[in-house]
Amino acid sequence: MEFIGLVNYALFMGIFIAIYALLALGLNIQWGFAGLFNAGIAGFFAVGAYTSAIITSAAADGRIGGFELPFLVGWAGAMVAAGLIAWPIGKICLRFRSDYLAIATIGVAEIIRLVIKSEEALTNSARGITGLPRPFGDLPYVESQAAFLLLMIAILFVAYLLVERQFNSPWGRMMRAIRDNELAARAMGKDVEYRRLQAFIFGAALMGLGGALFAHFNRSITPEAIDPMVATFLVWIMLILGGAGNNRGAILGAAVVWIIWSVSEIATDQLPHEYAVKAKYIRLFLIGLLLQLVLRFRPEGLLPEPLRGDQGASRREPKSSARV
Amino acid sequence: MKSKILALTAGLLAATALASVPAKADVKIGLIGGVSGPIAAMAPAMISAAELAISQVNAQGGMMDGEQLVGVVGDSQCNPQGGTDAATKAVNIEGVVGMVGPHCSGAVLAASASVTVPAGIVMVTPSGTSPEITNIEDNDLVFRTVPSDDYQGRALARTLIEQGYGKVAVAYINNDYGTGLAQAFRAEFEAQGGEIAGFAAHEEGKASYRSNLADLASGGANTLVLFDYGDGTGLTMLRQALENGFFETFIGGDGMKSNAPINELGAENLSTFFASAPVGEASNSLETFNAAFTEAGGDPDAIFVTTAYDAAFMLALALEKAGGDKEGVSAALREISNGEGEPILPGEWAKAKELIAAGTAIDYKGAAGDHNFDENGDVPGTFAFFKVGNDGFEVVTQMK
Repeated sequence: MEFIGLVNYALFMGIFIAIYALLALGLNIQWGFAGLFNAGIAGFFAVGAYTSAIITSAAADGRIGGFELPFLVGWAGAMVAAGLIAWPIGKICLRFRSDYLAIATIGVAEIIRLVIKSEEALTNSARGITGLPRPFGDLPYVESQAAFLLLMIAILFVAYLLVERQFNSPWGRMMRAIRDNELAARAMGKDVEYRRLQAFIFGAALMGLGGALFAHFNRSITPEAIDPMVATFLVWIMLILGGAGNNRGAILGAAVVWIIWSVSEIATDQLPHEYAVKAKYIRLFLIGLLLQLVLRFRPEGLLPEPLRGDQGASRREPKSSARV
Repeated sequence: MKSKILALTAGLLAATALASVPAKADVKIGLIGGVSGPIAAMAPAMISAAELAISQVNAQGGMMDGEQLVGVVGDSQCNPQGGTDAATKAVNIEGVVGMVGPHCSGAVLAASASVTVPAGIVMVTPSGTSPEITNIEDNDLVFRTVPSDDYQGRALARTLIEQGYGKVAVAYINNDYGTGLAQAFRAEFEAQGGEIAGFAAHEEGKASYRSNLADLASGGANTLVLFDYGDGTGLTMLRQALENGFFETFIGGDGMKSNAPINELGAENLSTFFASAPVGEASNSLETFNAAFTEAGGDPDAIFVTTAYDAAFMLALALEKAGGDKEGVSAALREISNGEGEPILPGEWAKAKELIAAGTAIDYKGAAGDHNFDENGDVPGTFAFFKVGNDGFEVVTQMK
C-alpha cells in the first residue's frame, strides 16, 4: 500500500461523508427541529438523484429527457423536485405522529422505489441512467477526487450555515416549540400543520441534493442505490449517534458512522481467510450494536442539542430518551 | 471536539496502515461481490469459484517467478454505495492489480466510473448483465465474462421463431437482469414477425403469482417466456402456472436453467419446459470445471459460478502475460482469448504459464464460453436451447 492509496481512500471517504452529512442535515431539520419521524429518506434521495440525472444526461431514446444541461441546473432541479414531491406526501402523511408517520413514509419511499424501477419512460426502469457528467471528472484520479471533495465541502458548508441560521432564528425556536409541546404552540397561534410541512419540505430538498451529488459522483444512478439499508437507516444511525437537533452533530455522526462502516471491512479482512466472506456480515452487526450502545449510554448523541438561555443550566440532563 | 475527530480519524487510518502490510511479492486481485444484500445467497458460491481459479494458479507454480496470487474479498452489497467503497479499498488499500466483480450491474457502473477506470485497473464482472455496461467510457478497462442480456434475449427470440412459436406471453422479474432480457427479446421477436400477447414485470419473493399469470394468459398465448431465477421466484411461477394450467409451454432464460425446478417439480412434469443458456464451444471445458469445482466442495450448477471462475482465471492469465503490472493487463486480456493460439482449458495453468513464457499465443476456452471479447469488452456468448430429459437438461439446438 502506498501513501497515495491512503490519500485516495481518505478523499473517497470524505466525499461519501459529505454526501451523507447532507442527508443527515436534511433529516435533522425534519427530526431534530420538527420531530417528524421520516423513515423514507431513500425516496427523496432517489427523486433528487433521478431528477438531476434526467436533466443533465445526454438525450436517449425511449425515455424523457436527456436535456444535457449543466450539473448545477441538475442539482437545483433535484432540490426543487424533492421538495415538490414532499409537499403532497407531507400534506397527507403529516397528520400522523411518530411511529405511524414512520410507517407511512417507509411506504412512500417503497412506492417511489417501485415507480422508478418500473417506469421505463421516466427512469429507464431497472437499467438506470448512465453517462452523467461528473464535475472535474476529466482530471486524473487523485486530482479529480480532491476537486470533487472540495466542491462537496463547499456545498456542505453553505448548507450547514443556512440550516444553522434557520435553527437559531425565530423559525427554529418555533419549530422546537411545536416539537416539544404542540398544544402550547397551537395555543400561541402557530399554524402547526403548515410549519411541520415546511420543515418536511426543507429537509426533503436537502436529501434530494444529496441524492443528486451521489449520482454525479458515480456518473450513474440505478434502482439498486435506493436500498433502505444504506440510504435510510444508515442516515438515521448517523443522526442519532451524532446528536439529533445539533447540525454539527449530524455532520460528525455521518463521519463517524461512515468511517466505522467502511474501515470495519478492512479490520474484518485481517481474520483468517476462510472467514473472509462470513466476516462481512459482522459489519451489519457492528452498526446495530453501535446504535444500541448509543441509545443506552448516550441517548442525546455525541453532540447534544444546544440549549439556550437560563434553561441551559438547569437542563443539562439528557432531554428525554423517549424521543428516540 | 475537532481534535477528537481528527484523532479518531488518524487512529483509524493508522490502524488500517498497520493492519494491511502485504507479504512481499504477492499479486493481488480483488474479488468484489454482493456478499451481503439481495444476492447474498448467490455470492459465496461465485467467490469460491473465483478462489478455485486462484488456488489452481498457486498450486501449479504461481505467478511469474513463483509469486502467490491472492484474492482480496470485498463486499459490494449489490449496490453502488457498497460497490464503490469496496472497490476503493481494494484498489487503494490492498493495491490490487485487477478485479473480478462487482456482481451487480449498478455496482459495476458506479465502481467503474468512480474508481477502477480513473485508477487504470481492469475489471471483469462475472454477472453484470445490464446492456448499459456496454456503453461505459472505460478506456478498455471494463470486461465481462457473462453475455449482455441483449445478446441472449435476441438469440432466444430468433430461436423461438425458428421453432415455430408465433405468439407468446412474457413475464420477467423486475430487476436489471429480467428487464434487459425481456426488452431485447420483445424487440427482436416483434421484428421477426412474432406476436407478444402479454408483457409484464413481477416483483420477487411473493407467495402467489396467480393473478399475474391469469393476466398474462388472458392475451390468448399458450407459451410463457419466463425471465427469472429457477431457484427463486421463477420456480414459484412455474409451479403455479403448471398447477392452474395457465400455459402449456414454458421457455426460460439462463436463470431458469437450474436444477431446482427438476428437483422440485419432477422431470416428468417438465416435458414442455425449455431454457436457453450460454455454453462453451469446447464442451469439455465445462466438464473439467465441474469436476474441479465439485472436488473443491462447490456446487457447479449454482448460478454464475462458471463465469466467476473464468473471470478470475483469465485475469490471472492476463496478469501473467503482462508481468504482474496493471499496465497492459487490458491488452493482454484480449490476447489470451482472441480465438487464435494454443487452446487452454480451465485449470491448465502450468501449461499456459509455459506457453506464455515461450511467447506462444494462447486461447482460453472457458467453462462458460470462449470469451472472445468484442471492442466493448463484451462476450457475444454461444447459447444453446435446452429441454428437460431424464438426466437433467439436454441440448435441443444451438442458438444463433
